[in-house]
Amino acid sequence: MDASLLAITLRTLRVGGESTGIALVAGVPAGCALGLGRFRGRRALLAIANAGIRMPPVALGQLLWLLLWPNSQWGGSVLSGLHWIYTLAAVILAQTLLVLPILIGLTAGAVQRVPEELLDQARAFGATVPRLAALALREARIGVLAGIIAAFGTAIASVGAIVVVGYSFGTATLATAALREWSAYSFDGHAVAYGSVLLGLFLVVAAALTVVQQGRATWSPIRQS
Amino acid sequence: MVADPPVVTAAGPVLRAEGLTVTRGRRVLLEGVELELRRGEVLAVLGPNGVGKSTLLAVLGGLREPAGGRVVRTGRVAAALQAPALARRSVQANVEAALAWWGVPRAARPVRARAALERLHAGHLADRAAQALSGGDARRVHLARALALDADALLLDEPFAGLDAPTRAELLTDAASALRDGDRATLLVLHDRAEAWALADRLLVLLDGGVRALGPPAEVLERPPSIAVAEFLGFSGRLDEPGGTVRCLRPAHVVADPEGPLAGIVRRRVPEEDGVLCEVDLDHGRVQLRVPHPGPAEGATVRLRIDGGVRFAREC
Repeated sequence: MDASLLAITLRTLRVGGESTGIALVAGVPAGCALGLGRFRGRRALLAIANAGIRMPPVALGQLLWLLLWPNSQWGGSVLSGLHWIYTLAAVILAQTLLVLPILIGLTAGAVQRVPEELLDQARAFGATVPRLAALALREARIGVLAGIIAAFGTAIASVGAIVVVGYSFGTATLATAALREWSAYSFDGHAVAYGSVLLGLFLVVAAALTVVQQGRATWSPIRQS
Repeated sequence: MVADPPVVTAAGPVLRAEGLTVTRGRRVLLEGVELELRRGEVLAVLGPNGVGKSTLLAVLGGLREPAGGRVVRTGRVAAALQAPALARRSVQANVEAALAWWGVPRAARPVRARAALERLHAGHLADRAAQALSGGDARRVHLARALALDADALLLDEPFAGLDAPTRAELLTDAASALRDGDRATLLVLHDRAEAWALADRLLVLLDGGVRALGPPAEVLERPPSIAVAEFLGFSGRLDEPGGTVRCLRPAHVVADPEGPLAGIVRRRVPEEDGVLCEVDLDHGRVQLRVPHPGPAEGATVRLRIDGGVRFAREC
């Protein structure tokens, strides 16, 4: 593997890992709260999270550009003072915001499918809210891990937001590099290499997460006579 | 001013309901419920479907707020709900998880979980996946898990529901001894009278939105306080007697006797394992009695004598 391909691959892994990790820390508890909580506005927040799952990356990138670029029409915002525009930080921020709704929405959906009787029983045996959340997440781990796989896949493969807020050689990921090298009506070996590595990377990570996901889980329901 | 903590005495109630109103949605199920659950006793709550037994249990266990009145708890109360909901883990892990929810230190959980399973003769299930259990074993584990907590008061919602007769009888026998361990107060919601007779020190009957009978099972059965309670407790026969009284009769109170003073016509017959249950129309009422196989045909005339029953004023 040549040096630039290795550097881009490692950068892609970093972008995918950090954005998914940050979104995980915020998104799983938020999804759990939305899935299990009973509070005013919960349905509206769930609807927003579900809509965000298919958020257009380009639109998100443009919004971030307006917030990050000091001379934009929205210039002078707190974020523009960070000088993140066209840096890897902007790329990670964009991808984090892109995958956060995926983790929130899919976690909420997964914990909502945990049998209510089990959670009621835990409550009846004195379980505190954190223990109830831990129980729900454990029971819903297959769904939550599916959310993590989807989030990681989006973080490494989506290009729309990155090309707007971080399109430079120092921020290129495999997806943006493949896009840049590919030109219409001609075959480009570099572009295909970037795309192939990206595909391989995703398959390896997805397979690893699937192993964790399936673990020793069984799916037969509790038999009621 | 800080209120004094409640004093827990050996004989005092662990749980007390005062003027409790229980609702489901906007519908009032029970009103004015007063009850005490004392240490060392087993109280069975009986009532027809939909009367609010499970909802009352949820209120007593703190899972639902009462619409009126209050629940005073002087000890820790655990409730085992009707569905034996078990997590996708091993049986042992399920019991340990319950102990964790209850606040038992990690080091003590494995031994306590194992002991509870052994007490309910479920030790051999410890390493099995909970999802692989039969209905009877799941109920057994559910009960063991509740007993493992060693709560001051344990509320059990229909612990034998949905089991076949042999499994139920086996679990009932095991539960009868396990529930007597220690000085725990136990409240059982049941729908089968036989289970109440087997397990309970006191019986509470919920009917028509409130507590209609409370006392030792034999006492309630011998002297039900109203016709409605008597009918619910299996007094299926009813005779109008001179003087404005009604005599309520269980099948055991009616005897087929060729020399008997009463004559009636068999209206319906239901063959059973050990005989035939006959419903007989009399001049002033209708009774049920059991006779040996093959029993009289429908429409046949039979002579009877009455041997027991309970009398009520007609409007009672």
